Amino acid sequence: MGKEELREELLKQLHEGVVEFEEDQVKEAAQRVLDEGLNAYDAVMNGLAAGMQEVGDLYDQHEYFVPEMLMAADALYVGLDILRPHITLADLGDKPKGQVVIGTVQGDVHDIGKNIIKMMFEVAGFTVHDLGRDVPLEKFVEEQLNTDSEIVALSAMMTTTMMGMEKVIKMIKEKNPNVAIMLGGAPVTSDTADLFGADGYAESAGNAVQEAIKMIGRLREMQAK
Amino acid sequence: MSKNGTAKIIFQPSGRRGEVEKGINIIEASRRIGVDIETLCGEKMVCGKCKVRIEEGSFEKFGVVSSRDHVSQWHEEEGKFITPDQKEAGYRLACAAEVTGDLLIFVPEESRAGKQVVSKAARDIEIKWNPAVKIYTVTLIPPTFEDPLGDFERMTQALEKEHGLKGLNIDWFTLRDLPNIIRKDEWTVTAAVWMDREIIKVWPGKVEDYYGIAIDVGTTTVAAYFCNMRTMEVLDTVSMMNPQCKYGEDVMARITYHMQNPGGLERMSDDLIEGLNDLIKKACEGTHPPKKKKKDKNGKIVKDEDGQPVMMEAPEKGKTYLRLEPSDIVDLTMGGNTAMHHILLKLDPQYVGLAPFPPVVHRSLDIRARDLGININESSNIFVMPNEAGFVGADNVCVLVTEKPHMSDELQLIIDIGTNGELVLGNKDKLISSSCATGPALEGAQLAFGMRAAPGAIERIKIDPETHEVDYKVIGRDAWLKYSKPEDMKTKGICGSGVLDVLAELYRTGVVEKSGRFSKNQKSNRFRKNPDNPRQKEFVIAWANETSIGKDVVITQKDIRQIQLGKGALYTGCKLMMRRMGIDNVDKIKIAGAFGTHVAKDKALIMGLFPDCDLDNVMSVGNAAGDGARVVLLNRAMRDEANWLSRNVEYIELTVEKDFEQEFMESMQIPHMKDEFPHLKDLVPEEILHQK
Repeated sequence: MGKEELREELLKQLHEGVVEFEEDQVKEAAQRVLDEGLNAYDAVMNGLAAGMQEVGDLYDQHEYFVPEMLMAADALYVGLDILRPHITLADLGDKPKGQVVIGTVQGDVHDIGKNIIKMMFEVAGFTVHDLGRDVPLEKFVEEQLNTDSEIVALSAMMTTTMMGMEKVIKMIKEKNPNVAIMLGGAPVTSDTADLFGADGYAESAGNAVQEAIKMIGRLREMQAK
Repeated sequence: MSKNGTAKIIFQPSGRRGEVEKGINIIEASRRIGVDIETLCGEKMVCGKCKVRIEEGSFEKFGVVSSRDHVSQWHEEEGKFITPDQKEAGYRLACAAEVTGDLLIFVPEESRAGKQVVSKAARDIEIKWNPAVKIYTVTLIPPTFEDPLGDFERMTQALEKEHGLKGLNIDWFTLRDLPNIIRKDEWTVTAAVWMDREIIKVWPGKVEDYYGIAIDVGTTTVAAYFCNMRTMEVLDTVSMMNPQCKYGEDVMARITYHMQNPGGLERMSDDLIEGLNDLIKKACEGTHPPKKKKKDKNGKIVKDEDGQPVMMEAPEKGKTYLRLEPSDIVDLTMGGNTAMHHILLKLDPQYVGLAPFPPVVHRSLDIRARDLGININESSNIFVMPNEAGFVGADNVCVLVTEKPHMSDELQLIIDIGTNGELVLGNKDKLISSSCATGPALEGAQLAFGMRAAPGAIERIKIDPETHEVDYKVIGRDAWLKYSKPEDMKTKGICGSGVLDVLAELYRTGVVEKSGRFSKNQKSNRFRKNPDNPRQKEFVIAWANETSIGKDVVITQKDIRQIQLGKGALYTGCKLMMRRMGIDNVDKIKIAGAFGTHVAKDKALIMGLFPDCDLDNVMSVGNAAGDGARVVLLNRAMRDEANWLSRNVEYIELTVEKDFEQEFMESMQIPHMKDEFPHLKDLVPEEILHQK
């Protein structure tokens, strides 16, 4: 088997392993990538991440659900743990995609949805600052300023806590109007996002990352002007 | 905001919603969305049966800003049926008003063609007679120059002497009635005494029977039990939709309405109190003879000056009527979830909606009826049940005083299913409670064709494992589809009990896999991609020709996911509580809630609503919350017990329990990702039950 063929084969195994949540298959393939001296970054982006993107797509179609999503995530992390230490700075030559501050707003202790979105961001190459759940509203503002993140992603599972989002948006935009803010969570609709003055709305995990990338694009255009 | 040309419409209280093109009238919109509004005249503005109310304001929960300007102009004809007051309140004829923008529309009971089926009948439960209000009759010696003692003291002296009641007080309102009542029947008087402390009503002469009402204020339905306080007999059960439904379907939406709208709390409270007063009136009307239109000798209907028919009583032969009035009701008890409790009492509910969800008050309250504006005997006190926690409220305390798990050796798991599931586990040694966000899907709301339990709602389903053909039954028709002409079914949607059947049957017959995903191995043309959205897969339950809405009634992959979330939350709650108690199984599972009465136990087990157990140990206890309100009405000792229970059941917040995420995830599968279900052995084929 030629080197290129082998690469294709291992990428396919990583991809499939994530989609089918076969942790052992992912583990083996990731180890072979290292043993055969193949590029770890390539394996992460074109194997694992590509697989996770397919999972995100299946989730959007309701083909996959929370359990499948979380099981796929487990498989993904098995591979990441093996490959990540071997990614060199040279691999990251092209700028990282961006930074995200993420958290579930004050008064809300639900965080499964937030964790899935967080993972999708990581897969897509974002640096994620996770504030956890029941996060005091000021904390989002602070963390955004400290990290200079382009995106703040707010999650709420209850209508009552959703109301806190409006306040956070105001607080952040006052300090830094160029931050892109996106909302997600069961009670949130694109209408509420508009109403609260958010820049984006994520209906589901797969859609969150694409929405975020779009938002950063808009942001950069604005800054370039 | 909606796209140009279409408008978002939400009908309350059914909660059905959809988008329609602008320019059609509200009747047409209701048909497309599957809501039945009465139209006797065929939309000619002649019968006035289709009155609806257009709500005004921003409703975040639904994502609409509804306005009276979002319908076409007022027609003069509407004035024949809608009074100026009603017009002011936003009433229109649904056939006259055309949609020009987003709307939240309230369809009043009388305009609804299909009436909601409310199952909150009273159950036989054992109650020890010891009411908070008791009545005593005394005959007094009239005053003389030698003995000119005041009326009140004269009466209390006699009450002390004959009945041992010491240090009695009297409410000022009752005192004002006293002098005349005491003299009306030769100085014989009957006094109603509250908690051996205060006289709250006096009647002339000897009275034996007296009356009280126990009310369960549910988020969606309010039920009242009208009781004879002497015999403990339930005279009547009356119910209504909670008039607050228009502000939002679930408690969170109502709390939000309060947070967003100045005066919102008062509005919601006043609406409920007005509704309660109507309900009490309705209960009393049931003790009067029915009325019919008065006819003259020629059989012509007699009309009054305004042209309205004159009504006359038409008592049934041989029947006696109690002819009670609201002022005859001397005691009233009330239970409800914490949010309903707070909103009714105008206590700020916003902190109940934010973690860690503390209620304003735990202990029970005695509130003068007139202070609350409830029209019963004005000196009476209303007993409001205590709360356990923010999400386990007075309604759950009601369940506990009825089911008494704290008196039992057996380990009981009590599941009260509503929009919010409340769970209690334990026995005489220890009790714990928790709540889980089951969401509206288990009650049939928010599914593509979900609806409340009303005629036309699918409540039972059977799927043939060989052909995947569907047979079903709708509310309001006894015959199953198999024995009916398709056009006689008049199917509209799927209600709560149907929802459980659907998932259990889809799984049992292999239409969906354990994961909840539609299987690749389909045997009928019922499985398809949605014609308008090929990414959405769906399964047809009822073909368009069986429905009254002219559309196939389907269950979508997304619907299945919603149901899985709800059942997963409930299962996780049960399991984590059992783990907290260190037990693997319970002796008894009791399903409460109006919903509980309709649940098929086997279907609930198949879909994995709770951990595996012997179906013989699963029982439905009906509306235990309403029964509990009745218990404290008739037994005052249970009021103390309710307070004790509210503080001695340990509340556990499940979402912060260790492994919650993992457990929740596993519980979403059918019946569960890993847990064994030996009791499904004969109910589900081997290859389905043990699929990978």
